[in-house]
Amino acid sequence: MNRSLRRISIAVLVMFVLLLVNVNYLQGFDAANLASKPGNSRAFYAAQNQYQRGSIVTSDGKVIAASKLSSGNDSIKYQRYYPSGPEYAPVTGYYTIFGATGIEAAKNSLLSGNDSSLDVRKIIDLITGKTTKGATVQVTVNSKAQDAAWNALKAQGKPGAVVAIDPRNGQILALASYPSFDPNDLAIHDGAKLNKIDNRLLKDKAQPLLNRALQGTYPPGSTFKIVTSSALLTQSPSTTINTNVDSPTTLTLPQTQHILHNDQGEVCGDGSGQAPLITAFAQSCDTTFAKIGIRLGANALNDMAQKFGMNNADLTIPLPVAKSNYVIPASQALTAFSAIGQFSDTVTPLQEAMFAAAIANNGTLMKPNLVKQVTASDLSTVQATSQSELSQPVSPSVADSVKHLMLAVVQQQEGTAYAFRQDVTGVEIAGKTGTAETGEVSLNDAAFTSFAPFANPDIAVGVIIQGGGYGASAAAPIAVQVIKAYQQAVGNQ
Amino acid sequence: MLVFAFALVAFALANVGFTLKGGLPGGAALYLAVYLAIVLLAHLAVRRFAPWADPLLLPLAALLNGLSIVMMDRLSAQVNPATGHPSISASQANLQIAFSAIGIGCFVAVLVLIREPRVLQRYTYTLGAVGILLVALPALLPASISEVYGAKIQIRFGSFTTIQPEEFAKLALAASFAGYLVAKRDVLALAGRRVLGIDLPRARDLGPILLAWAASLLLLIFESDIGTSAVFMGLFVAMLYIATSRTSWLLLGFLMFVVGAFAASRLVGHVHERFDIWLHPFTPANVQGNSFQLVQGLYGMGSGGLLGKGLGGGQPYITPLVQSDLVFTAFGEEIGLAGLMAILLIYGLIVQRGLRTAILVKDPFSKLLAGGLSFMLALQVFVIVGGVTRLIPLTGITTPFLSQGGSSLVGSWILIALLVRLSDTARRPPPRPIQEEGLTQVVTLN
Repeated sequence: MNRSLRRISIAVLVMFVLLLVNVNYLQGFDAANLASKPGNSRAFYAAQNQYQRGSIVTSDGKVIAASKLSSGNDSIKYQRYYPSGPEYAPVTGYYTIFGATGIEAAKNSLLSGNDSSLDVRKIIDLITGKTTKGATVQVTVNSKAQDAAWNALKAQGKPGAVVAIDPRNGQILALASYPSFDPNDLAIHDGAKLNKIDNRLLKDKAQPLLNRALQGTYPPGSTFKIVTSSALLTQSPSTTINTNVDSPTTLTLPQTQHILHNDQGEVCGDGSGQAPLITAFAQSCDTTFAKIGIRLGANALNDMAQKFGMNNADLTIPLPVAKSNYVIPASQALTAFSAIGQFSDTVTPLQEAMFAAAIANNGTLMKPNLVKQVTASDLSTVQATSQSELSQPVSPSVADSVKHLMLAVVQQQEGTAYAFRQDVTGVEIAGKTGTAETGEVSLNDAAFTSFAPFANPDIAVGVIIQGGGYGASAAAPIAVQVIKAYQQAVGNQ
Repeated sequence: MLVFAFALVAFALANVGFTLKGGLPGGAALYLAVYLAIVLLAHLAVRRFAPWADPLLLPLAALLNGLSIVMMDRLSAQVNPATGHPSISASQANLQIAFSAIGIGCFVAVLVLIREPRVLQRYTYTLGAVGILLVALPALLPASISEVYGAKIQIRFGSFTTIQPEEFAKLALAASFAGYLVAKRDVLALAGRRVLGIDLPRARDLGPILLAWAASLLLLIFESDIGTSAVFMGLFVAMLYIATSRTSWLLLGFLMFVVGAFAASRLVGHVHERFDIWLHPFTPANVQGNSFQLVQGLYGMGSGGLLGKGLGGGQPYITPLVQSDLVFTAFGEEIGLAGLMAILLIYGLIVQRGLRTAILVKDPFSKLLAGGLSFMLALQVFVIVGGVTRLIPLTGITTPFLSQGGSSLVGSWILIALLVRLSDTARRPPPRPIQEEGLTQVVTLN
């Protein structure tokens, strides 16, 4: 029996060697790989507790997220807090013991102090005996513009979002979404309570966790006529803003019995069936632009929409942005609808602002970005976002024409947003209203895209209000308030 | 040796105290006092009742038991923020030391009651019947008092105390197998035909292995306990092989288990799920669902790395059942690769001492019993440690000495007591022959 016992001993030895090798593999070689696997909350937790997390501040120095020492006998050393809570939630996102969103997620490694670009400073900290802290992220948001956007949204009380961009460099000046949530509620360290609050927010019909500014997509309505006009002016250089275009009172769509009316059955221009492009644009004649759309064809519209930033699922600012969609229609009738921002067209409020920004910046669309710079705890700059061109949808001359079209919407008497002319607001604003049918008149989505001041634009604002009704009455006033607040802040007024 | 084990446990307890409780708590001192007392008691019992026993067995087992007490103390001291509770309550941690005392009590009792291992041979069939009854008991009882996490392996008394009878059944069956095989080994080894170079046993001699196979399959099907079933089957096959030295038994037994397990994985949902978790643990559905436990255990070990986070420094509470089935990963997280290698080497040493005893001991029954018990311990460690490290599918069996739970701890101590007794028998010097001058003649050859 001793012979078989010896063999059993060898088998046992092999079993233990297998276990030892496997444990060595797991903890020696596979550890880094395991740390990056899905659902590994230990890795997240480790980063969270190492250093004091950096702050998030606005471009004008207002602190919107910071960490302080936890009070009492808390196993987690630092407590995250958000001085302005819901107002900046679409920017900061939240930072919980389980995960993060917004800038908190996009710049997590820098904020937590674990980014490799901070390594040299950490060594210096070690030598000089200073406590290592996470880096500070400065966002491009201007607190005055943000306050105006948030207060206006809150006062109006319907779900919606506002995005303001500096058209010259793509910096995002305001990013507000309503209704919002208070990230302070989610920063607590009691996991059971956190799960409850999280569940409540997730189940809330008002969707407070949805960042509408970047993740909500809505029909652009007539604001899409900026794209249609741009495509027209690009394709036929002989057309000017004063060229007469077909503007019937009603239009029977090709291959259908469907008759397209203008809003309220309005007559376009003088009722002759012909109107200058600028008049049709200011009045927002659907028949005119439906006809233009049919003439240009869906592919031309699609090309132009894409140049303005639509159909791009990969845009990050560095927060991820939902894709704004232009779907190529299968028929001329549907192309007509798509040319006036209906059919399957959907845009984010950010995209809405990008329409105006591209036109305001002489046809060049700057890549929107939310982060101005990242500074280490010794105030040295770790990262500065450089401005870059996203695309050039139109030539400067076409852009100039569209600028004047948009100016007419606000500054000419027949314009849909004449209520916000310079005499009233004190700023020369150019824009385009949009009222997208969602089936019921009372539930029309209101959209407005605009830039100001006309002569030298430094802000472009996109606003979408769900169920707001007319763009001119629900969305435009909010944009105007943001523009005015920003003009005051930069000293233009 | 014992002093070393004691010092290590004392240091580890202090470590937990400083990390999690902000100082040396009074409870730790009490733990240490009880631990020292029971270990000393065991030591004295060995000196008194088994003086020739292998000197390594007790200190190694005591060290493992001590580490378990430390880990239970540590797990009860940290709240999981996601649930608001620690992995085990303080009273469960206290129970662990109470069961350590009971386990060592049983250890001493075995040493006192069984002075000669061969006496067990007399109860071959009684032990077999007791073993089978213990295994079958949870399957026969209603699920309300026997089912836990999809497997029917325990008997619940009241709301708190449970007994897993299989922990004792294993020992009874090992002794019973040994008795049976000693009686039958010649016929099992010699009768039969040779086909393709392999000695095939006679059909009627297949009876016992078929019976063991059937029993282990029944275990699988009615109690959904694949781990214990593998340990039983492995134990029986290994003992058959030790008794007969015939490879054909090994091949046959292994083949039958694989076929049985494969069939079960197709037919029994619980078993099928285990295979799926093993093969695809990181699919999104599994990570948040079935394989959550395994994957979190792996993450814990990964975060521990080479040297570990230090006792009290990790987050073992994230892993479900970290106090029992996955306790090995908790050690991996907190004392790292270095600690795990040490633990595996301790197990390896115990098994090696057991097998050494089996080779040394003269009487065939004792040989088989020592070999069987050692192999069973090795197999159990292999099944659970291999399971939590994803070497083989994870099945819920206890880690000897380390897991929370009285049955396992007491059973393990009885196993060590038997090995101590066997090694005492093996190493005892033969009685001195009585020298009677007149009877012995010295013949000088030249």
